[in-house]
Amino acid sequence: MEDIKEAILAFAEKSKKSKFYFNDIQKAVQKVIPDAKAKPIKKAATALINEEKLIYFSTGSSTMYGLKGRGQTEDH
Amino acid sequence: MAFEPNEEQKVLKYDELRIYTDEELNNYTDEELKEFKCKHDIPDMDELEKGPWPSFVADCKREALHRRNLADDRMMIDRDVVEDMLGQLQVSFDEGETHWKHGGIVGVFGYGGGVIGRYSDLQERFPSIAHFHTMRINQPASKFYSSDYLRCVCDLWEYRGSGMMNLHGSTGDIICIGTFTEQLEPIFYELGHVLQQDLGGSGSNLRTPACCIGKARCEWSCIDTQAMCYELTHYYQDELHRPAFPYKFKFKFDGCPNGCVASIARSDMSFIGTWKDDIRIDQEAVQAYIGGEFAPNAGAHAGKDWGKFDIEKEVINLCPTKCMWMEDGKLMIDNRECTRCMHCINTMPRALKPGVETGVSILFGAKAPILDGAQMSLLTIPFMECEPPYENIKEVVEKIWEWWPEEGKNRERLGELIQRQGVAKLLKVLGIPPMPQMVKEPRSNPYIFWKEEDVPGGWGRDINDYRSRHAI
Repeated sequence: MEDIKEAILAFAEKSKKSKFYFNDIQKAVQKVIPDAKAKPIKKAATALINEEKLIYFSTGSSTMYGLKGRGQTEDH
Repeated sequence: MAFEPNEEQKVLKYDELRIYTDEELNNYTDEELKEFKCKHDIPDMDELEKGPWPSFVADCKREALHRRNLADDRMMIDRDVVEDMLGQLQVSFDEGETHWKHGGIVGVFGYGGGVIGRYSDLQERFPSIAHFHTMRINQPASKFYSSDYLRCVCDLWEYRGSGMMNLHGSTGDIICIGTFTEQLEPIFYELGHVLQQDLGGSGSNLRTPACCIGKARCEWSCIDTQAMCYELTHYYQDELHRPAFPYKFKFKFDGCPNGCVASIARSDMSFIGTWKDDIRIDQEAVQAYIGGEFAPNAGAHAGKDWGKFDIEKEVINLCPTKCMWMEDGKLMIDNRECTRCMHCINTMPRALKPGVETGVSILFGAKAPILDGAQMSLLTIPFMECEPPYENIKEVVEKIWEWWPEEGKNRERLGELIQRQGVAKLLKVLGIPPMPQMVKEPRSNPYIFWKEEDVPGGWGRDINDYRSRHAI
């Protein structure tokens, strides 16, 4: 779990865009940890949301993730 | 099997939970309403009130007047929220463009859905709608709730929101329109802890599952849609609230092929109650319909004289597969040819009933987009047993959820993935063989292909040798 969380945070810090889809997270994690499955990645992403390191960004129809503090991450 | 809730169910009593008094709820007269004038000039909104149809503008004006007459400390957001909303809408009419900014970070802690952020981009002019977030409340199964429950929700939204609601959204949720960010957590707390009520789905989540009224009121229901909807809603909480799909995913449960929640047209995974034995026929009741003792369609079209009931014209000739006929004064059905259209059962409900070996048909891939064309779901599993705790159904759901999130593109619905990769791939994922009914017409269906192992000799056959014997 911790290694997946680290991979997610590394991707969230370096990605070109400040908001990204879960699929993008999954692909990035699987580059670093090839045998990581979607469910543990989702659990790790949820844990990071609960730790307030990641945030959800929703358009209403689809949802993206972002790193808290990077790009627009507060209510406006 | 009797319904057993996963947790003890409270009985909500409005008198114990109410926020407003009767005087506050009925705080204006018809005369005041006639005289009501919005604080903004809204000629086009006024125009929308004219004509034969009920208008949301008329409802908004009632709500605006109601809020004008409430005391300051009886609302947690600005009293002018409804009037400002109408004012901004007038500006959008004038300028031909929207002034809403949609989406954002807002939500309740730990949930990725249920709240849709919205802001005005004319905040100085319309400060009371600077934030105008929507909250989706997961509707009770079949939208089956008491007036006490509804009054409690309405009071809460009047107190902490704009008071404007939409019952119900397309997916079935109770939609509460317009509140500020700081009200979201208190509303969520009240809903969860007092009203025992969860938020619905939005974003790339499993959306709020919806079901028809099922066995609660309907004699045709082949499955307990409410129990199934309840179980899958609870079982898939994580998928409902923590988005990790490429896009939205909808379950809907219809008790019979009449499809009262239109699952076939609106859900990525449609569950439709069906039967695999024969339609039950009461020949005496058939004669009673023919003789005019029973009104066809349970009297539903009785407002006009349609003449004497003609079973040939109104039932037998309308059967889409022509599988019915009269023989020696008895109605006969070739059940193997029945496609479950329900027409005969709907027309003569006292004479014909669905069979008793009931279960569910599962279809995949419908969507009802606003901009693009609608797509109906594909009948993939014609019959499956359907009993709590629905382990066989969950197994199918999870096979789909291993495939679609892995191979679906961002914002690609399941139906689009099926179109892109083919029905054969869907069948492989599910581990089921193709059916002739999946092929629309021989030789031209693009979805079903032979696999090498199915062909004698495989692909290694010498084409020149073949051509030596078959010139063309």
